[in-house]
Amino acid sequence: MSSSDIRDNDGPSGAITGIPDPIAEGLARGWKVRGGPHGALPERIDCDVAIIGSGAGAGVTAEMLARAGLQVLIIEEGPLKSSRDFRQRESDAYTQLYQEGGGRKTADQAIPVLQGRCVGGSTTVNWAGSFRTPAETLAFWGERFGLSTLNFDAMQPWFEQVEKRLNISPWLTEANANNQVLRRGLEKVGVPAPTINRNVKGCWNLGSCGLGCPTNAKQSMLVTTIPAALDLGATLLVQTRAERFELQSKLGNSDEREAEALICQPIQTDGSPAGAPLRVRAKHFVVAGGAINSPALLLRSDAPDPFNLLGRRTFLHPTVASCSVMPEVVNGWAGAPLAVYSDHFLSTQAMDGVIGYKLETAPVHPGLVLTNLGGIGSKLAERARALPQTAVLIGLLRDGFHPDSIGGSVKLRRDGSPALDYPVNAYLLEGARRAHLTMAEVQFAAGARSVHPVHELAQDYRSWAEAKAAIQALPYKPFITGFASAHVMGGCGMAADAARGVVRPDGQHWQLRNVSVHDGSTFPTSIGANPQMTVYSQAARMTAGLARRLNGREVRLFSPSQS
Amino acid sequence: MNATPMSSPASMQRRRFLKLGLGATALLAVAGAGTALLSKPGLIEGRLSAPSRQLMRAITVAVCGDLLPPEGPAREARLARHMDQLDRQIAGFPPALRGDLGQLLTLLGTAPGRLGLMGLRSPWAEASAAEVQARLQVMGHSSLALRQQVFHALRDLNCLVFFNDPASWALVGYPGPRTN
Ligand SMILES: Cc1cc2nc3c(=O)[nH]c(=O)nc-3n(C[C@H](O)[C@H](O)[C@H](O)COP(=O)(O)OP(=O)(O)OC[C@H]3O[C@@H](n4cnc5c(N)ncnc54)[C@H](O)[C@@H]3O)c2cc1C
Repeated sequence: MSSSDIRDNDGPSGAITGIPDPIAEGLARGWKVRGGPHGALPERIDCDVAIIGSGAGAGVTAEMLARAGLQVLIIEEGPLKSSRDFRQRESDAYTQLYQEGGGRKTADQAIPVLQGRCVGGSTTVNWAGSFRTPAETLAFWGERFGLSTLNFDAMQPWFEQVEKRLNISPWLTEANANNQVLRRGLEKVGVPAPTINRNVKGCWNLGSCGLGCPTNAKQSMLVTTIPAALDLGATLLVQTRAERFELQSKLGNSDEREAEALICQPIQTDGSPAGAPLRVRAKHFVVAGGAINSPALLLRSDAPDPFNLLGRRTFLHPTVASCSVMPEVVNGWAGAPLAVYSDHFLSTQAMDGVIGYKLETAPVHPGLVLTNLGGIGSKLAERARALPQTAVLIGLLRDGFHPDSIGGSVKLRRDGSPALDYPVNAYLLEGARRAHLTMAEVQFAAGARSVHPVHELAQDYRSWAEAKAAIQALPYKPFITGFASAHVMGGCGMAADAARGVVRPDGQHWQLRNVSVHDGSTFPTSIGANPQMTVYSQAARMTAGLARRLNGREVRLFSPSQS
Repeated sequence: MNATPMSSPASMQRRRFLKLGLGATALLAVAGAGTALLSKPGLIEGRLSAPSRQLMRAITVAVCGDLLPPEGPAREARLARHMDQLDRQIAGFPPALRGDLGQLLTLLGTAPGRLGLMGLRSPWAEASAAEVQARLQVMGHSSLALRQQVFHALRDLNCLVFFNDPASWALVGYPGPRTN
């Protein structure tokens, strides 16, 4: 029996029939897609702009540049999947749609890192929470990195365009029971519990956002900007990895150079090579492979790095979790995973003081939660059996604002693949303890029967008093303190001068005249909010400038005629 | 069998133990396990080798405990299926990750590796669930990065595969994908 038989014969199929599939329709209309099952790559391609990646930054860039009349090539290392492939199964989703088959972790293995690797990038698998960049984050960037022209007011028009293009609006449907636990708990402890904005249209409230949206309701790049760009004549290469730039040889003492070509490698789904490399020549290259992979591409290319900044200051929102067993059935896998949040614990101390954290919930899918929840043997079995009553809260730590919070750095493994070194230091660990305390208090206030912070030495506590005393006494150390993250930022930081950043405020590489970076890797710190809106709006801003520089055209992400 | 990079002694020495850290290399040297590595690779063509299946079986029994059917044919069938799905999961990993996992399994498949990394005395085929559980527990609480890395590599992979499997869903009250 083959393993595919195993999958097909068990349980509900997860496939939803009768949903129009915009990808299948586009392919039938003649979209130019190559690579993987879509046909071999040519030996060389020439274009106006080659974009590496097809996620949040790449998608916005591709649509706008195609609309500006430029010949656009999109290069994505992951596969092209669509609603008919999204069977709402964790087993399929992690291996097909995530970086490193869902197994990406920081170099010392202390933090699992979730990132997308498919057309649409992380937006294909993200949980659809949409937040504008916090004003205080932008103010900090202005002060420390000279990015004062990017203040909140200046970004406002870009936020508005993104919100219109991606149908971002408050989630008005009743929050699922997991989010109701958060709301109830916050209200009991006297903290506001605002509603989250989501980028969805006609959402079925299934709860499988993280596994690929089976109804195309989530307005990911897979169903919005990438199809728009392809309809405008762009070419998409899938299962094709941008390996390295060929850079012009160094002239004199100047660090300024140009990328002459980009060498790309067709790959199998596990990432190993499949066929001869391709040489891409373009007037301009936009790197948008996401934080970790974008700096890695530049590192593999030996890009000039006179101030030793490339790959440095890569930030996660290191995320800690707290599980509670509720008296009621929660079924936390069902319904929109993010509906309620709190920023209260971000704003109650100085920005560059002890670390602040944002509170949200996580979807309670069995693989995700029981892998990351801790425990073995009878303890694990007990927690597994309580899954229907389990509510999961997460605290996202805002890293990058304090002298002790320098984040991680991207290095290359022997085979050229990236590894993120992210030391879990005392500063983060103290934040984890405080977030665990807050979450336990909120969960007990919401009526939890027991609470278990994700920490190898933690027990299942029966009251807030018991949890408080225990958490205060627990040793907070790497590994035994459970961290994970789905938000990666930085590594090609943006700054007003070359000594502080890898790219200029307009996204162009400080030393490479025809290379720009348009993705989350340009952030000088983490955001303190889920990052997709910030990636979209910065990419839109940068792309408008790039189009102007390349062919003098004015483009917007959303024009009134689009509605 | 062809000498895969993993089973060649030269490349074994050359390779940095990126994931395992330098501690593992030192341990290996002390344990003198070098030659044993040749005979029992952890992964063969990306799949669990026979010794690794035995090892993983012991780990699965320890990690999943009484979530598995009671001893007997049903348990054996569940474990066999689990091993196949581990293979499928591992096949989806990128080569670098697969390489690291292969090294770990190779190492744990030797007596010195098993003792040095896990402190487990009995051979995998003879170790009781309680014994393996106790060693895993110690590793999970260890302050040594190396022990923690091994603990998480073994535990997390097993959990991911086990709970992603529809055969486990009824146990945890998960109804499976919602189709309407
Ligand atoms: C599970 C999960 C849940 C999340 N939930 C939310 C949420 O609710 N709200 C929110 O705001 N954010 C969320 N995020 C984060 C958000 O999706 C990301 O921050 C955002 O998509 C990052 O955009 P990006 O352009 O930097 O990279 P990505 O969107 O990750 O896109 C990068 C793409 O580039 C490709 N690529 C990389 N290197 C290469 C190469 N060398 N050659 C070719 N292709 C390459 C990758 O395969 C990938 O497809 C979530 C992320 C995950 C993983």
